[in-house]
Amino acid sequence: MRAIIYTLIITILFSCKKNELGPQCINCSDKETNTEIADLLILNEGNFGWGNGSLSLYKPNLHTITNNVYQQANNNIALGDVAQSAFQFKDYIYVVANNSNKIEVINKNNFQSTGTISGFNSPRYFLPVSDNKAYVSDLYSNSIQIVDLSNNSITGNISTNGWTEELLIYNDTVYVCDMTNDKLLIINPANDLLINSINLGRQPNSIVKDKNNKLWILCDGGINQMNPKLIKFNPQTRAIEATLTFSSITDSPNQLSINSNGDNLYFINSNIYKMSINDLALPSSPIITSNNNNFYGLGIDPLQENIYVADAIDYVQNGIVFRYSSSANLIDQFYVGIIPGKFLFIE
Amino acid sequence: VEASSKILIILATFFLWQGSIFAQRADTIKIKTIDVIAEKPPEAYKVSQLDSIAIRQSTNLSELLNTNSPIFVKTYGSGSLASVSFRGTGASHTSVLWNGVVLNSPMNGQVDFSLFPTPFVDNVELNYGASGLINGTGALGGSVAMNNSIKFNKGHHTSLQQNIGSFGTSISNGKFGYANQKWFLESQLYYNTSKNNFTYTNIALKENPKTTQSNAETEQFGLQQAVFRKFRSSKLGVRFWYFNSDRQLPNNMLVNNDIGSQSETQVDESYRTIIEWSGFTSRLSYKITSAYLKDKLIYNNETSKIHSNSNTYIYDNKVITSYYLNNNFIIKNNISIRYELARADGFIESHNRFNNHWLLGINKQIKRFDASVFNRFVWVGDQTQLISPSIGLQYKLLHNKNLKVKANAAINYNYPTFNDLYWSIGGNENLTPEKSEMIELGLNYVKTINKSTMNTELTTFYSHVYDWIIWLPTSSSIWSPTNLREVENKGLEYSLKLNTSYHKLKISFNSNYAYTLSTNLKAKNNYDNSVNKQLIYVPYHQINYLLVLALKNYQFSYTYNYTGKRFISTDNNWYLPANFISNIRLSKTVKINPKTGVDMGFKINNLFNQDYQAMAWRAMPGRNYLFTFTFQFN
Repeated sequence: MRAIIYTLIITILFSCKKNELGPQCINCSDKETNTEIADLLILNEGNFGWGNGSLSLYKPNLHTITNNVYQQANNNIALGDVAQSAFQFKDYIYVVANNSNKIEVINKNNFQSTGTISGFNSPRYFLPVSDNKAYVSDLYSNSIQIVDLSNNSITGNISTNGWTEELLIYNDTVYVCDMTNDKLLIINPANDLLINSINLGRQPNSIVKDKNNKLWILCDGGINQMNPKLIKFNPQTRAIEATLTFSSITDSPNQLSINSNGDNLYFINSNIYKMSINDLALPSSPIITSNNNNFYGLGIDPLQENIYVADAIDYVQNGIVFRYSSSANLIDQFYVGIIPGKFLFIE
Repeated sequence: VEASSKILIILATFFLWQGSIFAQRADTIKIKTIDVIAEKPPEAYKVSQLDSIAIRQSTNLSELLNTNSPIFVKTYGSGSLASVSFRGTGASHTSVLWNGVVLNSPMNGQVDFSLFPTPFVDNVELNYGASGLINGTGALGGSVAMNNSIKFNKGHHTSLQQNIGSFGTSISNGKFGYANQKWFLESQLYYNTSKNNFTYTNIALKENPKTTQSNAETEQFGLQQAVFRKFRSSKLGVRFWYFNSDRQLPNNMLVNNDIGSQSETQVDESYRTIIEWSGFTSRLSYKITSAYLKDKLIYNNETSKIHSNSNTYIYDNKVITSYYLNNNFIIKNNISIRYELARADGFIESHNRFNNHWLLGINKQIKRFDASVFNRFVWVGDQTQLISPSIGLQYKLLHNKNLKVKANAAINYNYPTFNDLYWSIGGNENLTPEKSEMIELGLNYVKTINKSTMNTELTTFYSHVYDWIIWLPTSSSIWSPTNLREVENKGLEYSLKLNTSYHKLKISFNSNYAYTLSTNLKAKNNYDNSVNKQLIYVPYHQINYLLVLALKNYQFSYTYNYTGKRFISTDNNWYLPANFISNIRLSKTVKINPKTGVDMGFKINNLFNQDYQAMAWRAMPGRNYLFTFTFQFN
């Protein structure tokens, strides 16, 4: 009898602890953070279905990192499930939360949410195409969503056939990577009509524009389906000017990036590779070797051409970001959130 | 699911059975009652039993284990996937048995505990650590054995039960039994449906709106049939269990529930048949079983247009014998021939293998010692393992024999699943079996004073798991399993059982406490912060107890469950706070006549309306109610 009473008392004591709700962070600072130009925002995807996407802010001059800045600024509200990509437009950062089917509109200075664009199916990338209109690519909806930025609502869509990935606007024309059909879709943003589609390699995932206004598109080749390709495309003539084919079918290059001068291309293919836009072949050796790291994110700083590389480690812990100089000397390394995937340099 | 039509068919079948039952009664022959000695685990093993009192408080196995044992139940919410783990090991390290047959899927090595309603089992036995070895391969943490009892000579027994609960929950259950001296027949039907449309405070979204859980409907239908025939010194019988579950898979709290929300559904269907022949000769007890298990899982995702179909087929044959050299010396010899086959959309072709084992050992009592030594020879696919031993020792410390010290040590292996080996894309055929070395030391004390009994047990354990399989992305971004993880588990378990009475009040109290340190030992690379950290979703502290007070026809019960803080990232930077959930139940039994009784029960789940998450961002229901009405005819 006495034992029962003791147990009851002990468990009641356990019941009187501080009331915390939901996931709690131990190493996240509770200081408020303000953004400055050239700060680096790291988008941590988080695990699919686990709701642990987050934002980290790195100050390149001070070498300081602050994690979980969105939750701090928004009363501990979660950012979203799978923070897929982010884009800065005017004073706002648009964070695409893939599995939350939404885009969070965030004030770039203090990270407070100013709005949510919801109603997506499986959004991937966001691109403003005019002052108050944006396109959002999508994994499953067979369409590109059209968003009215004045009231943060979806106003329509452009039909596609399958998975659309990165988008780019140049000369009032939008170029979209069509993963399913291995194409580059060319869209007129004035009337939202598809103008043309160009055959590329298997699964084009990323696209950049160089200083000569040529587009470079990286095709990952699918999972052991075809050899990946890096394609140089002339938007004026709509002709493919060069196709560089990767040597192995097991290669899986991604995250094609370019420096602000528009003359050096970077991408991840296990290791980090760099090449000039004038090179006639793919680089034979990497600029940064992965060793035991699993590189998941790549960003090129527009000011000094520093190379930021993210490693998700085991994908269930805070990942690490390595900062290298343009000549690949390690400058700094710091832990961010779970599965760091994208970098955004604040303008 | 056209459940109503199924029920009709089943009822028709049942009445046909009843016809044959009545026919049987006519030619009852008197036979000598010989109790066949059940398969009893060695004394030194740590085993705990969950009896009908505990079972009755819970609707399914997941809830039962969560509130009555120190093992950890990981659940995505009511009606959703639930898996259990012992002592810091993984869900696929828990063997789940039904009347001696391992039910774990050869595809993922797991069992979904939400698919096992408590009315379909009569008792549940938990085998911890080393004792899990006796049940077969894979139980690196332990095993959960569900059993059905067979009682001859009981006459007619019928019980009809209807439960009505919150969130559109309705559970119907009927049990029809007849047993004479020769025959035992039992039919059971089960139907469960719930909308699970509870409302919760959504702390993931701005302004914490009240959100109603959507896409969480469940429907379950089950049938169990047993026919046993008793002979002079043996019995022969067959059991059949059909189960069908059709459910929606709800999203987490961060997913907007408007047009964009994914609609995921899952159908699980199982056919399980066991033919069993057991008996006893002058020195030999034997049990020969042959089982056929067929499981189907259909997963549908409307958004991503994934429709995947997985089928597994298992033929499990066992010969279990105990030879008594004398009363104190037993030789055990168990041979298990198990064939596993899987056909799934996730595989390029179908896969099959033998998963056989042969256990040989002795159990001997010498004065106050009880010693057992076993070895299991394992043969899975084209791999064999000659030695996986288990040694157990028990010593009675006191003369009145109520204080016992127990020590166990074992080495056990868990073979990679078909998914680990062959999943397309990512499966890795070069995996080696996971290996666990474990030791434990325990004290058990039983004291009886007048009408009160106390049974208390303290166990400390240590285990080292090598080559633990985890899935990680490779350099070409494909997720693939490797034998990368190495884990050390240590901790202690304490249990206290009290049965006493105070005047006419009967009191029964059953409590458990577990402390688990489960540490990752191996780094993926130099920057890996998970080394020497607690594994995710392994709480340090767990407490639960069940208090039952019975007075005349009334019964009151209180269940309490405390799940301590558990980390949700391997670097232990993120955690879920502790939660403590209380349930109460009040019931009254009314005897209408000596043969007919009615039992009415009222249960409040989550009595204090705790807002909590069992898994990160998965909504759980607040206070909710379940009313139970049971009719019994004998």
